[in-house]
Amino acid sequence: MIIETKSLRRVYGSTVALNGVDLCIEAGGIIGLLGPNGAGKTTLVEILEGLRMPSSGEVSVLGLDPARQGRALKERIGAQLQSTTIPIDLTPFEVLRLYASFYERSLPVDRVLQIVNLKAKANKLTRTLSGGQKQRLAIGMALIHEPELLIFDEPTSGLDPAARRQLHEILLDLKGQGRTILLTTHYIEEAEKLCDRVVMIRSGEVVADGSPFELVGRAGGKSTIWIDVEGDMDPAPLLVGGAEDQGRQGNHYKFTTADPAATIVALGEVLHTQGVSLTDLRMRRPTLEDVYLELMGDPEEDEGVPA
Amino acid sequence: MTNLRGLGELSRAYLLQARRSKTAIFWALGFPQVWLFAFAFIFGPLTPGGVSYLMPGLFALTTMAGAFFGVSYLMVNERENEVLRRYRLTPVSPVTVVLANGVRSMATVTASLMLQWLLAWLFFDITINGPVLSIILVLLIGALAFVSLGLILGCVAKDMRTAPALANLIFFPMMFLSGAAIPFFLLPPWIQGIARMLPATYLIEALQGVMVRGESLVEVAGPIMVLLVTAVVAAAFNSLVFRWESSEPINFKRLVVAIGGLAVLYLAAALLAPAMRMGESPAQEPASAPVERSRLTQQMAQEEGQVGRSFGQAAHEPGVPARSVAHIDP
Repeated sequence: MIIETKSLRRVYGSTVALNGVDLCIEAGGIIGLLGPNGAGKTTLVEILEGLRMPSSGEVSVLGLDPARQGRALKERIGAQLQSTTIPIDLTPFEVLRLYASFYERSLPVDRVLQIVNLKAKANKLTRTLSGGQKQRLAIGMALIHEPELLIFDEPTSGLDPAARRQLHEILLDLKGQGRTILLTTHYIEEAEKLCDRVVMIRSGEVVADGSPFELVGRAGGKSTIWIDVEGDMDPAPLLVGGAEDQGRQGNHYKFTTADPAATIVALGEVLHTQGVSLTDLRMRRPTLEDVYLELMGDPEEDEGVPA
Repeated sequence: MTNLRGLGELSRAYLLQARRSKTAIFWALGFPQVWLFAFAFIFGPLTPGGVSYLMPGLFALTTMAGAFFGVSYLMVNERENEVLRRYRLTPVSPVTVVLANGVRSMATVTASLMLQWLLAWLFFDITINGPVLSIILVLLIGALAFVSLGLILGCVAKDMRTAPALANLIFFPMMFLSGAAIPFFLLPPWIQGIARMLPATYLIEALQGVMVRGESLVEVAGPIMVLLVTAVVAAAFNSLVFRWESSEPINFKRLVVAIGGLAVLYLAAALLAPAMRMGESPAQEPASAPVERSRLTQQMAQEEGQVGRSFGQAAHEPGVPARSVAHIDP
C-alpha cells in the first residue's frame, strides 16, 4: 500500500477541510483526486506531503508517517505545488541542478530536461517561460530524484489546450515507466482521460471511488440518442424498448435510455416496418461529468461545512 | 544537519540571482553610496578629520542597511512567494537555507562596503590610519554580526508589508543612537549609555580604532568580541525562529528566547565593555589615554612626512589639502 489514511480529519478554525477520509492507494497508475475548489483536495495532498498536520486520524505514505519521518519520506516522494513556485532569475538548468543537490541521489539534469521537453529552454531565464513551460519545469523539479510517488496538485490549471495536452503526454509517459502519480484536478475530462482510478471529494469527504468506467456504470446514468429520418416516424417501439421520448431537437428525435443497445435494436425494427430511412444517428453515453455533477450537487456548498 | 552540496548549490543560485537582479544591485550596491556623498558634502566640512573621520559611521550604516533591508527582504520575499515552501518538500534543512542566505548577504554587503571604500578613496581622498587587512577583517566581522541579525528579522517579519516597518524600527534608532549618523561625542551621556547596548556602536568603535585612531586589533578586541558573539548567537537564534511559510505562526516562546537572549547579551556588553574611545571628542585633548595619544601623534607626524599610510595618496589633487586627523593636533 503506497498511501493509507484512516479517519483523517483536518479542521481550520471553525471550518472542516477533511472530515474522516479513508483512502487506500496501491502502487502504479494515475490516481485522480477530483472535487470542486474548497473540497479539501489540497489539504489532503499537503498532509500526505508532510506540509500540514492532520487534526486527527492516521496517515501512512510509503509506510512512513509524513509528520514524523518527513526527512526519509522526502527522498522518496516528488511533488508539485498548486502555486508554481520557481525561483526567479535562474534558468531551468540551474533550477534543476539546485534541486538535484538537495537529494542523496538524482537523475542527470539533461535527462530531466528531456523528459519534460525543456531542452530548448534550458538556458533561458525562468521568467521568460510560458505557463505550460513553467508547469513542466515544476514537474521536472519533482522528478529529479526519481521518486516512487509523484504528487501533482492541479498541474494543468490555467493552461491552454495544447499545453495541457503536452503535460498529459508527460504524465502518461511517467505512468508507462511504472510510477505512481496522485493528481488533483477539477477538469473532469482530464481525469477521465488519464486516471486509472478517480477519488471524488466533496466537503472533506470521499463521495465516490473507482475507475472512471466503474463510476459511470455504477451511477446508472442514461445515454442520449438523436435520430433523424426521412419521412415521419412513430417512436412507439423504441419506447417499448425502454427509451423515453424527449421530443424533437431541430429535425432530430431525441430519446434517453438506460439500455442504449436495446433501443438501437428497436430502432432497426422501426426503420424496417415503417419504411423510413435513417439519415443520422448520434449517441452520447453518460460521462464522468454527469456523475460528478450529480454527486457534487449545489456548488454553493463547496466552501466546507461548519464544524 | 546540512548537506554541503546543497549549501554550495543554494549559495551559488542565490549569488547568480543577486548578480542578475538589477533592483538588487541598485539597492545593495548603489544606494549606500548616496549616503557617502550626502555625508561627505554635509558633514565633511564640519567634522574635524573630514570624510576620513566619517568613514567608520558610513561603513556601519552600509552594513546595517544591507543586513536589515537587504537580507531580511530577500528572505521574506522568498517565503511570501512560496519558494521556501517548495524547498520544504525537499530534504534541504533550515540551516542550509539560512546559511546560504547568509553567504549571499555577506557577498552583497562586502561588495557594497568595498565599493564605498573605493569611491571614498577616489573622490574624497580619505586617509587611513591602520593596516588595510585589519580594517577588512573588522568589516567582515561586522558584516557577519549584522547579517546574522538581519536573518533573524527575515525569519520573524510576517510579509513584505511588515518587513520594511520592522527594519526601519531597528535601523533608525541604531543609526541615530550609535554614532553612525551623529558623532558619538556629541550625544548626551544618557544616550551614550543606550548606545552601549547597540551592536552598531561596537562596530563603529572597532572601525574607528583601526581606521582613525591607528589601533591594533588587540586594542579593539573588546568591541570585536561583542560583534563575534553577536554573529554566533544570532546565527544560532535563527534556528529558533526560522519559518518555511508565511502562514506558519511565529513561536512566541522561541521569539522571546531569541530577543531576550540578544537583550541580555547587549546589556552584558554595555556593563562589561571598556569605555568607548570614540566618546572622546577629537577636538579635545583626551585625558584617559595618553599612551594612545602619543602613538597617534607619532603616526601623524609620519604622515606629514609623506611616508604614512595614506590610502588615497595616488589620488591627491594638488589644490585640495589632505584632510586627515592631523587637524586635531593642537
